[in-house]
Amino acid sequence: MRRGAFFYYGRKALAFLLSLFLLSAAVFFVARLAPGDPLVSYYGERAEKISPEERVWAEEKLGLNDPLSVQYVRWLSGALRGEFGISFKYKTDVLEVIKGRIANTLLLGGTGFVLIFGLALLLGVLCAWQEDKWLDRLICKVGTVLSCIPEFWLSLALILVFSVWLRVLPSSGAFSAGSAGGFGDRAAHLILPLTVVVTGHLWYYAYMIRSRLLEEVRADYVLLARVKGLSRGKILFRHCLRSCIPSYLSIMAVSVPHVMGGTYLVETVFSYPGLGMLAYESARYQDYNLLMVLCLLSGAVVILCNLLAQILSERIDPRIRAEETGKTAGREEKALG
Amino acid sequence: MDNRFVPVGIRSTERPPSAKRRESLRGKPLGPLLFLGVVLLGCLCCELFLTKDPTYMDLAHCSVPPGREFLFGTDTMGRDIFSMIWYGGRISLFVGFTSALISAGIGILIGTVSGLAPRWLDTLLMRFTEIFLSVPSLLLILFLQAILGKATVLSLSVVIGLTSWTSIAKVVRMEVRQLRTSEYVAASRCMGGGLPHILRRHLMPNFFSSILFMLVMNVRNAVVAESTLSFLGIGLPLEVISWGSMLSLSEKALMTNAWWMILIPGVFLVGTLLCLTNLGNFLRKTISRRERNL
Repeated sequence: MRRGAFFYYGRKALAFLLSLFLLSAAVFFVARLAPGDPLVSYYGERAEKISPEERVWAEEKLGLNDPLSVQYVRWLSGALRGEFGISFKYKTDVLEVIKGRIANTLLLGGTGFVLIFGLALLLGVLCAWQEDKWLDRLICKVGTVLSCIPEFWLSLALILVFSVWLRVLPSSGAFSAGSAGGFGDRAAHLILPLTVVVTGHLWYYAYMIRSRLLEEVRADYVLLARVKGLSRGKILFRHCLRSCIPSYLSIMAVSVPHVMGGTYLVETVFSYPGLGMLAYESARYQDYNLLMVLCLLSGAVVILCNLLAQILSERIDPRIRAEETGKTAGREEKALG
Repeated sequence: MDNRFVPVGIRSTERPPSAKRRESLRGKPLGPLLFLGVVLLGCLCCELFLTKDPTYMDLAHCSVPPGREFLFGTDTMGRDIFSMIWYGGRISLFVGFTSALISAGIGILIGTVSGLAPRWLDTLLMRFTEIFLSVPSLLLILFLQAILGKATVLSLSVVIGLTSWTSIAKVVRMEVRQLRTSEYVAASRCMGGGLPHILRRHLMPNFFSSILFMLVMNVRNAVVAESTLSFLGIGLPLEVISWGSMLSLSEKALMTNAWWMILIPGVFLVGTLLCLTNLGNFLRKTISRRERNL
């Protein structure tokens, strides 16, 4: 069994490395083929002024005349040593630029993630409990309306109401100029972006929980439990919810990239200094060194989360595990026979 | 003697036709359909009732609040918002429908091939689909858009369509897997029916109802994607009027407290999205419900 587990995780780790390799290749080739002058990303604005002879020399020196595959191997070996080049816009090492922003994104995305899934579970259970009563209907109606509003427009409307009309909350940034880092100040800057991130995703997952629970409630074992005399609450929480949790966990893992995408978008609208805004800026200014690392980073998170979801759904649920062992046992029997 | 069985004492259950008609309309999304109809008609025939040119920049009347002359006011470049709404809606909805059709085409193709293909090809295609599904579509669109360069209405539709076919492909594959063993497909094959023929005559009619709702949702998602991208300045440029590119002026509007430039296009956008969602949900709910045991 332990040997089996070792092989299982080993295979998953191998799959992760392979996907990461493919991703890096894709990112590299797309960035090289995309419009824009690669010299610009090394020399900045000076690239436009250099003479043709210097240009040939520079291209020779940077190896831009080599075939793309050779260039890729060179870039990859640099990347393995942690050298991703210099950001053309910020004039410093790419990793330095990212290091300064990543905490903000983690704060916004992480808090949003916890809030989304906590509230979604709460709302979903409440709706299933009150199925077709007025509360359930109200929550469903409001949820549908909220989930229809595009995130960027919700941000605009909130900024209009809370920072332009009421003047109670700041409209952009992570902290006010001058007072870098007071807790209250940071929290005030976090409220509006967080609201948008949460409302953008909340109903999708709450509705998922609701419909899973409603399916579960129609199963035969619930009827048996009722006949046995268990209370509704006990059945809902101890039986129905419990059998939904494993799939909920794997959905949580799958949804990390989506929440991340939402965070990126919201950051851009609120000019919140995080990775999303950085990605947006680097795409607009064709800062490919930076964009490549950001894509790699986001892609790695996506791949990791998908693997995690697979492992969760394959390992955590005792039903699936039992099925698997049953299958292998059957196979062995067949082999013996 | 008359042998017919005549029931006695049962009230006639035949209701008048008017009540029947009312019954058949209950639960149908009439409001959303009406709203969508008005918006669609307004966008298609806007030449008939518009007196102002939406692209004309009336620099003497910049950021005028809604009033008698400019029904919905003007934007920071002096364009009339009322006429921009209808012209812009035309572009936004065109992008929505075109990319939904493209995504349905790709989804049906990949789903059918995957459903009929041998196991290894099926696994390969589904893995590919899953990878596609897991990447946030906005990032993917950004990436594709960066490669294609300056966006036009058509290129944007293609990009959005290329990134949103996955869910349709999955459902189609599942349906085709179930259908392909059925006798009529086998019979059609025996008589020499090719893949296009089987797809059109035997498979499509069966799975069409289950992807119809996704088609409507894809229209919605495409409209959202278009407006988001144009708002960010990566989608349609400012000169091509759409609901998203109208909103891309909102940063200036926020500074001058010009609420009409944000709220009015937004209300049309959100209203259309809401109606599309309602329509989609109605289509999905036609699946029968079972009693709960709790």
